[in-house]
Amino acid sequence: MRIAFTSTGKNWDSAIDPRFGRTEFIVVYDEENQQLEVIDNNAVKNEAHGAGTATAQKIYEIKPDVLITGNGPGETAARALQQLNMKIFVDAHNLSLKDAYEKFKTNQLTELNLQ
Amino acid sequence: MKEIVVLSGKGGTGKTSITASLAMLAGSDAIIADCDVDAANMHLLMGPDFANSQKFYSGELAEINYDICTSCGICAEKCRFDAIHLTNNTYTINPLSCEGCGYCEKVCPTHAITMKERFSGYVYFSKIKGNGSMVHARLDIGAENSGKLVAKVKNEAKSLAELQNKTFVIVDGSPGIGCPVVSSLSGANYVVLVTEPTVSGLHDLERVYSVIKRFRIKSGCIINKFDINPKKTEEITEFLKKENITHLANIPFDQAFTQAMTQGKTIVESDSDLHQLLLTIWNQIKLETN
Repeated sequence: MRIAFTSTGKNWDSAIDPRFGRTEFIVVYDEENQQLEVIDNNAVKNEAHGAGTATAQKIYEIKPDVLITGNGPGETAARALQQLNMKIFVDAHNLSLKDAYEKFKTNQLTELNLQ
Repeated sequence: MKEIVVLSGKGGTGKTSITASLAMLAGSDAIIADCDVDAANMHLLMGPDFANSQKFYSGELAEINYDICTSCGICAEKCRFDAIHLTNNTYTINPLSCEGCGYCEKVCPTHAITMKERFSGYVYFSKIKGNGSMVHARLDIGAENSGKLVAKVKNEAKSLAELQNKTFVIVDGSPGIGCPVVSSLSGANYVVLVTEPTVSGLHDLERVYSVIKRFRIKSGCIINKFDINPKKTEEITEFLKKENITHLANIPFDQAFTQAMTQGKTIVESDSDLHQLLLTIWNQIKLETN
């Protein structure tokens, strides 16, 4: 399973970024090979408008099985993400990636219903 | 550090006056961020010193390199915004009409057009009265507020707050429900809604709350000028109950608001009875964010 996090930094100790569209980084953990992949979201962060949909496009390209984030996507980004067969867990801000992953594994995160 | 965002949806409800009062009451405990950048006016009440500034760039603007331009006119013909005109045998870009779409850059046969970052205004870092600090911005003529600018003002305020170990960041939020509001909200710990008992007051409150609800941020509401329309106040109270929004306070209509404003003061600096009420509101917000 591949799990994507909106992250303020590049490693397991980084905090989850509460923002979806203007997140600093998207960090993807591949449970199979246990590797972390870091995607810099700086270009999107600096868009004047449409950051949410641009990040949704990136997530679409990454196609993770799970997304762990903070406040969650806004209205338009959520509509785009509905096209993906991906679970979204929210309210993980104030946690490190490591702690958020742990909480995800033990079913302690809130799942977002996009419908 | 707690981030408190003040929003109203509708203009004229007293959002900025109330935010400025909260800012005074918070004093050196908070960094203030004015994200109502389209019509930034909190600085009128807070007396900032504009000590430091940074140029801010957002969006793009077409620029013609006249060493290469052959004046073929294809750009002017294709521009959907009618931003390119022939004057004195030279094609020039009207920066107020240019939307920065980049179509002219694509169609120019000699590649004489490039898209440049557009200067949109300044971000300021100021000391304000009451021993506080404020991050605010001023847009250039024709420039528009954006999620990017709001994120910039907020992030600067947040890093200052972290650096100086402040307890609060108080954000005067953007109007409407669009990109700047979404950007004002992301990462916030608490939302203070300021509304008034009018048809549009309630309507816009419902609209902006639909955005807040999506982000599941705890909210409280102040009904300003509650006594001008008891029936609407009742409807708003019902709405707050239904949506589980904390009803922070009702503020009566009081000319002291306008009087303080015309003197460039916040309401808590005047000798009005409202001082005590605003202090109660601020203390309750502090409790709510705990």
